[in-house]
Amino acid sequence: MKKTLQKHSRKSTHKTVRTRAARTVRAQRNGARRTTATKVPSTQPQTARTAGTKVGIHIRMYRVGFGDFFLLSFPAPSGPPLYVLVDCGVHAVDLNSLDDAVADMAKLTSGQLALVIMTHRHADHISGFGRCAKAFAGFNVERVWMSWFEDPKNAAAASYQSTLTAVATNLQAAFALRADAPDSDYVRMVQNATGELSAAGGPTGNQAALNVLRGGFKNRPPIDYYQAGDTATLPDSLVQAGVTAKILGPPIDPDLVAEMDGKGHQYLSTNSDDGAAPKRFSQVFNSSKAAYPQEAFELYTPDEISKNIAAAQPDLAIAKATQVDNTINNQSLVILFGLQGKTLLLAGDAQWGNWQNFLFGGALGTAGHNGLTDEAKQILGNIDVYKVGHHGSTNATPIDAVNAMRADAIAMCSTQPGAYGKPENNSEVPRIPLIAALNKKTENQLARSDSVMVPGADTPQIQQFEKNNPPGPLPPVFQAGSSGAAGQLYVELEI
Amino acid sequence: MAAVANLHGPPPISPAPRRPLKVYAFDPTLAGLFGNVLVAMTRYEPLQPGPVGERFAVVDYDGSNKTYYAPVDLDDPNILLRGGLDPAEADPRFHQQMVYAVATETLERFERALGRRVHWRRIDKRVPKGTVNRLYLFPHAMVQANAFYSPDAHGILFGYFRTTDYADAEVLPGQTIFTCLSHDIIAHETTHAIVDGIRTYFMEPTNIDVPAFHEAFADLAALFRHFSHKEALITAIQQTGGRLYSPMLASEGAANSDHPTIQLDLQQDNPLIELARQFGQVSGMREGLRSAIGTPPKPADILTKTEPHARGSILVAAVFDAYFTIYMQKTKPLFQIFRAGGGSGNPVDLPQPLAELLTTTATQCADLFFGVCARALDYCPPVDVTFGDFLRAVLTADADLFPSDTDGVRYAIMQAFRLRGIYPEDAEYFSEGSLCLPEVSKNEMPPVSGLHFGDPNGLTTEEKNIDGPILREYAKKHAHALGLSSDLPIEVPSFHPMFRTDEDGSLKTDMVVELVQTNNVPIDSKNRGLGTFPLRSGVTLMIKRPGVHAGIRNDPTIRYIIPKYANGDRVARQRAAYAQQGVTNGGNVHINFGLLHGI
Repeated sequence: MKKTLQKHSRKSTHKTVRTRAARTVRAQRNGARRTTATKVPSTQPQTARTAGTKVGIHIRMYRVGFGDFFLLSFPAPSGPPLYVLVDCGVHAVDLNSLDDAVADMAKLTSGQLALVIMTHRHADHISGFGRCAKAFAGFNVERVWMSWFEDPKNAAAASYQSTLTAVATNLQAAFALRADAPDSDYVRMVQNATGELSAAGGPTGNQAALNVLRGGFKNRPPIDYYQAGDTATLPDSLVQAGVTAKILGPPIDPDLVAEMDGKGHQYLSTNSDDGAAPKRFSQVFNSSKAAYPQEAFELYTPDEISKNIAAAQPDLAIAKATQVDNTINNQSLVILFGLQGKTLLLAGDAQWGNWQNFLFGGALGTAGHNGLTDEAKQILGNIDVYKVGHHGSTNATPIDAVNAMRADAIAMCSTQPGAYGKPENNSEVPRIPLIAALNKKTENQLARSDSVMVPGADTPQIQQFEKNNPPGPLPPVFQAGSSGAAGQLYVELEI
Repeated sequence: MAAVANLHGPPPISPAPRRPLKVYAFDPTLAGLFGNVLVAMTRYEPLQPGPVGERFAVVDYDGSNKTYYAPVDLDDPNILLRGGLDPAEADPRFHQQMVYAVATETLERFERALGRRVHWRRIDKRVPKGTVNRLYLFPHAMVQANAFYSPDAHGILFGYFRTTDYADAEVLPGQTIFTCLSHDIIAHETTHAIVDGIRTYFMEPTNIDVPAFHEAFADLAALFRHFSHKEALITAIQQTGGRLYSPMLASEGAANSDHPTIQLDLQQDNPLIELARQFGQVSGMREGLRSAIGTPPKPADILTKTEPHARGSILVAAVFDAYFTIYMQKTKPLFQIFRAGGGSGNPVDLPQPLAELLTTTATQCADLFFGVCARALDYCPPVDVTFGDFLRAVLTADADLFPSDTDGVRYAIMQAFRLRGIYPEDAEYFSEGSLCLPEVSKNEMPPVSGLHFGDPNGLTTEEKNIDGPILREYAKKHAHALGLSSDLPIEVPSFHPMFRTDEDGSLKTDMVVELVQTNNVPIDSKNRGLGTFPLRSGVTLMIKRPGVHAGIRNDPTIRYIIPKYANGDRVARQRAAYAQQGVTNGGNVHINFGLLHGI
C-alpha cells in the first residue's frame, strides 16, 4: 500500500501517516475516517481556558485489539518532543499489531521515553512489555510509575499481589478442568490476571512483563509507586516543559489494607473446595423421595426442589474470577496531566471502587457521598481529553462523571467488541449506551481504537463482533495513521 | 360394693411441652470443650420423617450427588428416649436433627420477642388454599463451601466440602466440613429467612447499608444465642476473669502461656465472640466479633467500609459494645464484693459461685438485648432500611415497651452507635427524645374502625379478609395524612397482630402494618434510554387495640407512623447504589446471599 507522509501543520515533529486507499468493504463503510489533517476550527466559544488553542500535546492510541497502548507527547522547550508511554498490552482479541506498534513507537521516539506508566498489572495493559522485551531493551527511560500495589517495599501489598495471582492461577486450573466450560469471559478474566494463555505461542506471563518494567530497559530508571493524593515526581524534562501531573487514584483502601494484614482474606479466599469431592456418606443412608411424607412436597415437587437447588447455587468460581478482575482494575493509577491549561484524564481501568474517592469524596452511598465533590466537578468540568476507562465497560465510567464532563471534551477509547460481555446481558464491552452518552457529551468527538484499519482487523469474525456495536467513522478531530507497516496502526489527536 | 365404673379411663398424660434434641453448641471442632453438646429444648410438635413439622420441612436431597438421604424420624421411641440422636458427623440423620432443632429454636426466640408468629415469604407459585407454608432446610444441598437462604428455593441450602491444608485449623486436611453442623450458620441463615418474612422489600439492595444490615442482624441473632449457653458461658467467664469480651481465654496450664509446652498452656480463642468457627478457619472468613470489637470504634469506619460484612460488623460491634457495657455495669457490685473479700482486681480464675452469678446476668442481658434488636424489626420502615433507621427502631421499640429504662440500656446503645458514627438521617439532636420516633398524638389520625386483632396464633382467613380491605381503604383515604402520594397505588404487603407484655406486666395488643408505594424513576434523567428503577416509599403503622371503657371498646388508633418517604436524597442514594451494582433497566434486583456468603 502506498503511503503518503505528511508533516503536521504545527511545529510538531510527529510523522502521521494516513492511508489513501480503502480496499475493503468494511473500510468503505467507515470511509469517513479518512479525513484530512486540516485542523477544524473550534466552534466552541473561546473561554478563559484557552479552549481551541492547541498547545502541541499529541495523544496516540494504538489499535492492538482488546488492550491499551497510549503514547503521549509534550512539546519540549527545545529539541524533540517528550514522550510518555501509558500501558502497552493486548489480551483478548489480539490483532497481532502490537509488534508493529512498538516498532512504530521506537521509530517515532528514537528510543527515548521520558516516562513509562503502568496503570495496573492486567495482561491487556502490560503484555507488550514481555512480548517486545527485545525492543524495550533499546529504550532509554527517565522514570517509571506504578501504583502503590506494586511497591516491593510494601510487604502487605506484595503478599496481596501474589495471593491475587495465586487465586487467578487456581481459578484458571479449575476452569480448565471443567467439563462444562463456563462462559469464556471468565476464563479470559483469569488469564488476563495471570497473563498466561493455555495455548502455546500466546503472550508471555505478566511476570515477564513486570520484569521488563522493573529492569528491562536500556538504563535503570527510578520507579515511583503512587496512591491518590501523592505528589508525583515528574522526570526533569517534563518539569522543564511545564507538564504537571496529579494522582487521583488508586486510593489506599482501609478495608483492603485491613484485609491484607489480617489472616481473613475475605476478598480473596483462594478456594476452600480444591476440586476434590468430599467423602460421601455411607451407602446405607442413600434413600429416595418415597421415604419422605407428602407434606414435604406440598410447596414444591421433588423435581422442582432439585431444580431450585441447582438454580440457587451461585457459581463461586465465576464470582471469584469477577472479583479478581475488579480488584486488579481498581489498582489502576488515575492521572490528570496538565500543560498550559489543557488537561488529560487517564483512568486506566479504574472502576467504582477506585473512582469513588475522587468523584464522591468517600465510599459511594455512605452518608454525604452520593454526589460529586466540588473538586471532581471542577476537574471534570475542565478536562480536554478523557481516556475512557476499562475499554468502555459500564463499570468504569460513572454516569455522574459523564454528566459532569465539559461539554466539548474529547474522549478516546481503546476497545474491541467481541472480547467481553453480551448486549442481551447489558454487559457488552464497549457498552453501547455509555458510548452513546459519551458521543453526546463530547459532541461526537469520541474516538474508538477499532475505527482504525489495522491489517488483520478485517476478518469475518471481527466484522461479526462489530456488527451490533460498530465503531463508526473516526471523528474529524482525529487522524488515523501508520509509520511503516501496511494499513493503519493508530488514532492520533493533537490538542 | 359400690364401684364407680371407669368409663373414660384415667386422665390422659398431657403432651410434653418440649422436645429435647442434641446439637453441637458451636460446631464439631470444639467437641471436647465446654460441653459442646447441648440439648435444645424445642417446642413440641408431632413430626414426620424429615423431620417435617408445621414450620420447617427438612428434605435431605443432595443436589451434587442427586441423592436423597434417609430422613430421621424424631418421633421414633428410641430417639425420644435418648433425648435425640447423639452427635455423629458420619450420620446424616443427626445433621437433619440438628438443622431442625437449631432453626426451630431460632424461630422461637424471634416469635417470643416479637410477640407474634413469623410468616415465611409467600412463594411465587400458586398453591392450593390451606397449603402450609414451611421453610425448606436442605442439610446437604450441594458440594460447596457455602450456605445461604434462597427465597427462590424457599429454603436454606447448606453446603459441604472437603478442606485443603490449613495449618492452623482444628481440622484434618481433606476432612469434610458440613456447614449444617455449625450452630452459628444455621441460626444466621434462619434469621435471614425470618427477616425476609417480616419485611417484604428488605431484600432490595437500595442503599449501601441494606446488605450489611442483613449480615449484621443475622450475626447478632447467632451471637446472642452464645450467651444463653450456660456451660460455655461459665468457662468463658472464669477464663476471662469475667471480662466476657476478651478475645482470648487464659490458659489452663501452669499460667505460663509465654512459653507453652503442653496443650493446656496454649491460650484459646474465646468462642463466645466468634462465629462459625470451623467454617471460618478453613475459609478464612467470618472472624465474628473478634475483629469487630478488637479495634477501637472510629466514626470514620461508617464512611469507608462498604463491603457488606465489614460494614455489618460496625453495627454488630455497636450493639455488643452496649451489651458488654450493661453487663459490666450490672455485675460491678459483684466484683466489688469479690475484691472486698480479698479477690484479685485482675482475676484469672473466678470462684464457681461468682462465675454462676455472672453467668446469670450475662444470660439475662443477652436475652434483653436480643429482644430489643428483634422487636426493632417491627419498628423499621417498610423499605430502604439504613443503620440509622435501625437505631431509631431499637430506641423507639424499647421506649414503647419499657419507658423507664432503669438500666440505661438505651443510653448505652445510643453512645455505642454514636461512637461509630451511626445516626438516623433526619435526627436533629443526639438525644433519646430526638432519636425516638414520637407517638402519634390523640386525634391526629382518624381511628381504623372495624379492625380485628385475632389472637396470638394469628388471624383466621376470615379475619384477614376483613382486615385487608379495611387497611387498603384507610390508606387510600388518608394517604395525604400518612405522608404518601395519592397519585400512586398503595399496597399493603403485610399486617400482623402482636401480643406483648409491657414493663407493668400487662398485655399490649397492636397490629403492625406495612404500606408501600412504588414510583419508577429514570436511571439517568438525561439519558432516558437507560431505563428506570423502582423507588419505593411507605410507612410502617403500629395500630393499637384499644381497651374497654364504660363497657364499650373504642376504635383502634394509630400509635406510630414509621416513614420512609421519597425525596431527592433517596433517589440519588438509590441511583448510586444501583449504578455501583450495575443494575439495569427495571431494577428488579435482590440480594443474593449465595454470593454474599460464598466469597
